[in-house]
Amino acid sequence: MASEAKLSHTAAMILQALDAGFVYGFSIMEMAGLPSGTVYPAMRRLERDELILSKWEKQSIADAEQRPPRKYYKLTAAGRATLLASRRRYPLLERLIPSETVRAEEARSQ
Amino acid sequence: MKPSLKPAFDAADQMLLGCAARFVPGHRRADWLREWKAELWHVRQERAPMEQLSWQAEREIAGFCLGAFQDAFCLCQPRLRLGPLLTALQGSAAQCLLTLTGFLVLSYGIAWLAPGVRAERMISAPMQNPGLILIQYADCDATTIEPQQYLAWKNRHHSFFDDFAFYRVSEESIQAEGESGTAPRDSWKVAQASSNLLALLGLPVRYAALESNSALPQVILSKSFWKIEYGADPRIAGRVVRIGQRRARVAGVAAGDAWNLPGKIGAWLVQPDSTLAASGSGFIVAHLTAAGQKKMWAPVMQINEYDEDEGPRFFGYNIDQWQPGSWGIYWLGIVFALISLPAVTSVSLGEYSVNARKTSLSRRLYRWSFFSAKIVLLMMIDYFFTLDLAYFRTAQSAQVSASIQMIAAFVFFLFGLRWALLDHRQRCPVCLRRVEHPVEVGLASRTFLAWNGTEMMCMGGHTLLHIPALPTSWFDAQRWLYLDTSWEFLFVGSSVG
Repeated sequence: MASEAKLSHTAAMILQALDAGFVYGFSIMEMAGLPSGTVYPAMRRLERDELILSKWEKQSIADAEQRPPRKYYKLTAAGRATLLASRRRYPLLERLIPSETVRAEEARSQ
Repeated sequence: MKPSLKPAFDAADQMLLGCAARFVPGHRRADWLREWKAELWHVRQERAPMEQLSWQAEREIAGFCLGAFQDAFCLCQPRLRLGPLLTALQGSAAQCLLTLTGFLVLSYGIAWLAPGVRAERMISAPMQNPGLILIQYADCDATTIEPQQYLAWKNRHHSFFDDFAFYRVSEESIQAEGESGTAPRDSWKVAQASSNLLALLGLPVRYAALESNSALPQVILSKSFWKIEYGADPRIAGRVVRIGQRRARVAGVAAGDAWNLPGKIGAWLVQPDSTLAASGSGFIVAHLTAAGQKKMWAPVMQINEYDEDEGPRFFGYNIDQWQPGSWGIYWLGIVFALISLPAVTSVSLGEYSVNARKTSLSRRLYRWSFFSAKIVLLMMIDYFFTLDLAYFRTAQSAQVSASIQMIAAFVFFLFGLRWALLDHRQRCPVCLRRVEHPVEVGLASRTFLAWNGTEMMCMGGHTLLHIPALPTSWFDAQRWLYLDTSWEFLFVGSSVG
C-alpha cells in the first residue's frame, strides 16, 4: 500500500499504538479506548493490507508464565510509512498515544 | 456476587466465542478462536483477578466477547461479498425501510398461510342491506309467525315492503358426515330458511357450489360455524353434513353471521316455499321500500298502521346494525392511536429552524417521503399483524377476535408511531442516516448554569445533534449543527455518507 494512503482515525490510532509498543489486541483496546468490536476487525483489515504482521508467541514462553500464548502484531515497512503520513494528517495522534521514547523521556523528567 | 459463579461466567464467555467462531471461514477458525480465547484469558485476569468478582467486571468481559461477533462478521463478509453493502446499509434509511418491508412480508405471509386469517380476509363481513325489519306478534316475546302468513304477505303488493323472507330455528345437531364420533365444539342451531333470506340480509355466499340436480337439500354455513367447526377449510363446498337425521350438501359459506337475528344460527338449510309452508312457525324478515324507510324509522314500530290487513297486531323491530368487519375495526384502532399519540411522545420531529445552512427542497422532500413511507409500511404491518393475532385461532368467537384485533391495532400502531417519530428525530437531515456515538456532555448538577445533554454524530460527517438532558427556556428542543468542510478529515475512509 502506498504511504500516501489515507487511513481512518481509528486505523491510524491502532498503527500508532503498535508503534508505541502496544503489540496485542487487548493492550491496544486499553490504550486507544476503543471496543473489541472495533479494534480486532480493524487489525484484520490492516493485516490484509500488509500494514501490520502477526506472529504467535512461543509456547515455551507462555508455559513459563503459566498463561496461554498471545498473538503479537508489529508494523511492516509499509505500515510505518503509512503511520508517518497519518501523523501529518492527524497531528494529535502522537499526543494521544505517545511513543515508547517519548514516554521514557516523560518518565525521566518526572 | 459469589465467587462460585466465576466458572459459570467463564463458560458463558467461552460459549459466546464459540458461537462467534461459527461465522469465521473454516480455514481461519482455529487460529481465530485461539487468539480470542487467549485474549479473553488476559482480559479476565485484568478485569476480574482472583476472587474479586463483580457484575461490572463480568459485564465488561461479556462486552469484550460480544465484539468477537463483529470480528467474525468482518472475516466472513468477503466470502459473502456483502461487506461494503452491509456497511453502507447500517443505520441508513434503506435499512429501515428494508427491515419494515421484511416485517410486512412476514406478517402478510402468516396472513396468507393461516386458514383463519385467510378466511377473514376473503370473507369480509359486509354491510347488511339497509331497511330490514324483523316482524313478530305484538303480544308475545318469543312468538313466531306461521309460514302461511309469510306466504300471504309475500304474494300481495305492499306500499312499504318490497320483499319478505322466512326462517324457523330448530334445535338440531349438525355434524360432518363420517365424523359421527366427534361432537361439535359449540352448540349450534339450524335454520330452515327461504331461498332469498341471505340475499335479503345482504350476505353473499362464498365458496358457492350450488348443484341444482342434487337430490340432497342445500345448506349454507355461517362464517363462525365454518371457522370453528371446520377450521376455515376452503374446500368445504360440496361436502355432506348430517342435520339431525337428514343429510344435506354444503352449498357455501355465508359471508357473515347475521348476529342480530334471534338464535345462534350455525347453518341455513335452504328450503323452497312449498316445504316451508308445511313446517312450523318462524320469523319473518322484511325489507322496507324507500317510502317505508321514511315512515318506519323507529327501533320498534307497529306494523298494522302501515298495512291494510285486519289480522293480529304485529311489531317490526329494526335490525339495521352496522357490522364493522376487520377493516373497520382496524381503522378504529388507528384513529384511537392517533388521538392517544400526544400522551406517549412529543409529536415534534425536532428543531430545524435554527440552522445556518438550510437543507435543499429536494432533501426535505426526500426526508418527508421517507417518513411517509415508514408510516405507510407501519400501517400495513399493523393491519396484517393484527389480523394474524386476532384470527390465527379459528376456534374462537367473532367477538373475541374483534376485541383482540381492536386492542392490538391500537397498541401496535400507537407504539409504532412513537418509534417512527423517535427514529426520525435521530436521523441526519442530510443523509437520513441515524446519528451514532452518543456522548454525555456537561454535568447534570449544573443544569441551570450550563448546557448538559447528549451529543450524537452523523457518521457521514454531515451533522451533530444536541439533545438537552432537561429542556430549558433557552434550549427546549434538540438542535442540529451542520458540520463544515473542516470536519471532513475525520471521516476519511468511512464508507458511509
